[in-house]
Amino acid sequence: MEPSEELAAASAGDRDAQAEERKLVVAILQKDRKATAEFIARYTDPVYRYVRSRLVPRLDLVDDLVQEVFLAAWENLAAYRGDSPMGSWLLGIARHKVENYYRTRLRAPLPLEEASLKAPKVTMELDINELLDHRRLQEKAHSVLATLPETYRLALLWRYWEQRSAQQMATETGKTEKAIERLLARAREMFRERWKND
Amino acid sequence: MTSRIPEEEFFELVAAGAEPGSAAVTAPTKLKSRIYSALMLRQAAGGPLASLTRTKAAGHALCVFEELVQIAPLGEQVKSLNFCRVCHARVAAEYWEKAPIYWPNCPYVKFQGR
Repeated sequence: MEPSEELAAASAGDRDAQAEERKLVVAILQKDRKATAEFIARYTDPVYRYVRSRLVPRLDLVDDLVQEVFLAAWENLAAYRGDSPMGSWLLGIARHKVENYYRTRLRAPLPLEEASLKAPKVTMELDINELLDHRRLQEKAHSVLATLPETYRLALLWRYWEQRSAQQMATETGKTEKAIERLLARAREMFRERWKND
Repeated sequence: MTSRIPEEEFFELVAAGAEPGSAAVTAPTKLKSRIYSALMLRQAAGGPLASLTRTKAAGHALCVFEELVQIAPLGEQVKSLNFCRVCHARVAAEYWEKAPIYWPNCPYVKFQGR
């Protein structure tokens, strides 16, 4: 198949998927119980995976947060315009819920100890095989993250996994940017130590 | 053999891409069941659900209990009630990961992957 034909087929597939999603949304808004069941069967796994990866190791919080995502989706479904795929829309809600959790936890007073805010640029020493094996790298990072104190873990997840700047995190938590940078510096330092010892 | 990369780059590299074991992770079936029950409750609280007659006309298959209600000489208002609320399949599916429920076209059975 020519690339142009492939593209046409792909967009036709996208159009079909969008039309199907719109149909599902209309049926859910009409409170069709089978459509609601289909909605849950289809989208719970990706939402669950995302939330779990952002709250690890607090697995006890995952189920409630995933449920909140679907209830919020129902409350806002009438506003869903289909501009993005349903899965992405739901992940947007999930991200909002996860960040709410980070915000609440990091709003608590932070320890006042001075840390290496002006520390020289630090490098990480990696085994070349680790560097090549991305999955192994991620698995190790997650297992190290799981051992960190909650504020450190959430700060790193928020900064790097959710790609928020220190300034955005400061605005969201009502702290100064310097306080967030200090927190991140301490979190990275502890992460580095545990990475070496892992 | 080792390599040194700047710390910021390291975190960006690790955070990028799929999560570890992501393909293998699926939501527990009892969580799906609880979400369905919660959504049904929320929908029913705001007014009647779509009647079973309408659901069937839309091309959805009904479970054995819904089918009985749907063919019974009852008004559409009755056929719009949240019957799953009083069904033992809901209770079993919300508490057991592998609930012993097997009949076709039940949402709770669907979440079990049967």
